[in-house]
Amino acid sequence: MMHVQHLPSLLSTAAAAALALAFSSPASAEKLVIEAGRIVQDSATEITDGILIIEDGRIVAIGRQGEVEKPWDAPVLGGPDVVVFPGFVEAHSSRGMDRPNENLDVAPFLDVRDSIDPINVYFEDCRRWGMTTINIQQGNNCVIGAQGRIVKPTGMTVEEMTVRPGFGLKLSASPKAGKSAATQAMALRQSFDGLRRYLEEIVQDARDGGDLAKREALFQGRDLEGEKAKGRAMAGSAWKVDGLELIPRGAIDEKQSPLLDLVEGRGTAFIWCGGAREVHVALEVARTNGFLDRAVLVLDPSCWKAADVIAESGVAVVLEAPMVHLERDPVTGKEIETFVPGVFAEKGVRFALSSQNSNSNSLWFQAARAVGLGLDRKTAIDAVTRVPAEILGLGDQVGALAPGRLANVLLLTGDPLANDTWVQHVVLEGEVVYDRAKDVRNKYLIEGVEPMGLEGSAQQGGAGAR
Amino acid sequence: MKHPMHAISRLLLPASAALFALAPAALAQAEGAKKSEEPKRSWTVRADRIYTATGQVIENGFVAVVDGRITAIGPAGPGAEDGLRVAAITPGLIDLSPAIDLGTNSVEQSDEVTPNVRVADALDPFALAFERALRSGVTTVLCSPPDDNVVGGLSVVLQTGGAATIAERTLKADAVLRGAFGSQPSRRNSPAFLRPRDFFNRRPTTRMGVEWEWRKAFYDAVVARQDKDAAFPGVEQLHAVMDGKLPLMVHANATQDVRTAIYLKEEFNLPRMILDQSSEAWKEPEMLVRSGAAVVLPPFAWTGRVGADGGFHAWNTAATLDELGVTFAFSGRDGLDVDDRLAMQPGYAIRGGLSFESALRAVTVTPAQLLGVDDVVGTIEVGKRADLVLWSGKPFDFTSSVVGVLLNGELVVDPR
Repeated sequence: MMHVQHLPSLLSTAAAAALALAFSSPASAEKLVIEAGRIVQDSATEITDGILIIEDGRIVAIGRQGEVEKPWDAPVLGGPDVVVFPGFVEAHSSRGMDRPNENLDVAPFLDVRDSIDPINVYFEDCRRWGMTTINIQQGNNCVIGAQGRIVKPTGMTVEEMTVRPGFGLKLSASPKAGKSAATQAMALRQSFDGLRRYLEEIVQDARDGGDLAKREALFQGRDLEGEKAKGRAMAGSAWKVDGLELIPRGAIDEKQSPLLDLVEGRGTAFIWCGGAREVHVALEVARTNGFLDRAVLVLDPSCWKAADVIAESGVAVVLEAPMVHLERDPVTGKEIETFVPGVFAEKGVRFALSSQNSNSNSLWFQAARAVGLGLDRKTAIDAVTRVPAEILGLGDQVGALAPGRLANVLLLTGDPLANDTWVQHVVLEGEVVYDRAKDVRNKYLIEGVEPMGLEGSAQQGGAGAR
Repeated sequence: MKHPMHAISRLLLPASAALFALAPAALAQAEGAKKSEEPKRSWTVRADRIYTATGQVIENGFVAVVDGRITAIGPAGPGAEDGLRVAAITPGLIDLSPAIDLGTNSVEQSDEVTPNVRVADALDPFALAFERALRSGVTTVLCSPPDDNVVGGLSVVLQTGGAATIAERTLKADAVLRGAFGSQPSRRNSPAFLRPRDFFNRRPTTRMGVEWEWRKAFYDAVVARQDKDAAFPGVEQLHAVMDGKLPLMVHANATQDVRTAIYLKEEFNLPRMILDQSSEAWKEPEMLVRSGAAVVLPPFAWTGRVGADGGFHAWNTAATLDELGVTFAFSGRDGLDVDDRLAMQPGYAIRGGLSFESALRAVTVTPAQLLGVDDVVGTIEVGKRADLVLWSGKPFDFTSSVVGVLLNGELVVDPR
């Protein structure tokens, strides 16, 4: 009876709360209008006094004030001082995870989904710095790593965060801890030789009337329903195993099927090269196994020396670690500084900058520094928007502001590459997921103002922990 | 200024048809060889903007340099010699805490308090750190003993390049007395009751011990004023500090170490104190202002925690000090990463709310004043040394960088 008595008041409270939410925060609205003194659509296109209309998570219209019809029922964000910019795209990152490296040399049956931590402070940083699309891949310490995943930096569960599951596979051409460069190269090649041997074996077994693969799949509790019950002839351009149509696709071993995806031209490989000498190994493995056109090299700065080979191969690259490579000339003893993105730009290689650079974790800073060190502004902006979007196969979804694309929009206080510009709001698929005015941790970083209830704890955590 | 050799060759060469064919050429070669040893120290540099660090900004101006000195500055004026035209010019940057030393090899271990030891005797003029600093626009550095002693010794003000010896590079010998608070002086020492790291145990092993060493040193110095027999090596330097003739620069990263340093300053009435790497000095604003101590900030870190003791360095730390009226300078420490170097520090502070003018002063004229070398370097003024940084855009913008450096009139980094 108590429950019944309280029900009406509970209901009205809930209704009031819902109502308050609807009015106070445009986040819950399906439509959103963003007004700005300047809209930077991409590295080449800008609109002054612009207006951007979002419906159901996508941009539906963009143009000058007055030229675009403003829906009467949509909340409005922004104003004349605001600069609007597409959300930054992180082409490759191993952050936001609980321990990014798996001990096993070859572990493509694993998925970074199980390692991503939605409340990792990295994702908070991503919102703060306006990175709206992030490709999470296993760390570089592997031969073949786990399957990656493209996420957005918001959501309570990995599923909520997911933009594209099972995207990309990490390969490393550089020695995993405990391996030499030679054994690493061998292990990488042997993984694909092993795939071929395995496929030949199960096909032979099927031809002999056996059902080894199927029995193993059933034993492991994998389902073999629908598409998975069907066999399909092997696709791909590099090499083929005849008779693969005899094997139900779902019966192929989980350790092998991600590699088969690569060889058949379905997956994207992110191949880490820790030094210039490893670039040819990476390219050779990709070429031999037919996924060169779907390979992306993740490069240490020292790899600039292999820029010619990379340019010739036509692959896109992600530039990790400092943008300036330091080296000592063995003859003169002088230190030589090489501005790495400059080298790749000159050679015509498509490259994305990585936020895992210096001690910052923001892409606008990397783009600004790239300009400072000699890159032209257009290439620098492309390297943190358009190019990474293309690398992730989302070239028509993110990385620029245009009708039909996902509404990943940043509202900035000024020019995207200026020293004193801050991200004011982040709109992610039409929802406001960041408001600087409410960012307590940012206030701490900017002004040293500790969040409520934490007064004095910094003393303990900082000074006292020494 | 016309080069005399040009005049001679212009006169002689047309007449050198047959008879003088060899002589002037040989003469010119010999002269040329002699000249090439001595680098060219006279230039005219033009820029869209010249930031003199005296509060003046000259639009579309020039700086004329003759024999390593600035001889004229102004708008308009002569054309850019040899195409030396850039977006902006600032004075050469000055780093008070560049961390150029020989590591622990230059720590005198015979005592914890060695005010009479001179780091100049231990420095390597060929250290890569000098090159690195110079390349990124730092023309003057204060090299200090490492912080493994409580009172490390005497620091030296050097130019970062040019001559091959420390003596020739010295702008000011024994410029400050250097020491340290916090964990630094005790971090490598091991207490007697733990498993020894080597055959001897070094003290102090705690913050308390470090502070005690400081107080004892100055107490002994006070005693030695009255009793000549109580004098000890280094007492003159401590007296010079007490008399305000020698600034005392102390490493004090966290708030508690800043407090300790200021207590010492007040207890022994030490007039000139520079708090180095004091990211947390802003947490004691009243004390800081009252003490009159100057602050050298560590390189900025995006996580906020910086320095040996993990002091908290907010984006607005420099802006806060500026508002309080505290004298402060930036430092680049080792600057291995280009984004951590001194030339980047004002940019981070500007993002945190500091004005451009204050940011510029904190890497030029302020450190020069703290070292007492502001009559020679730190600003762009007629008569000063031609230490100039040439920029690709507005100085300290993340989208600009150092493209040229003149050190004592020599073009050590060529923007062309």
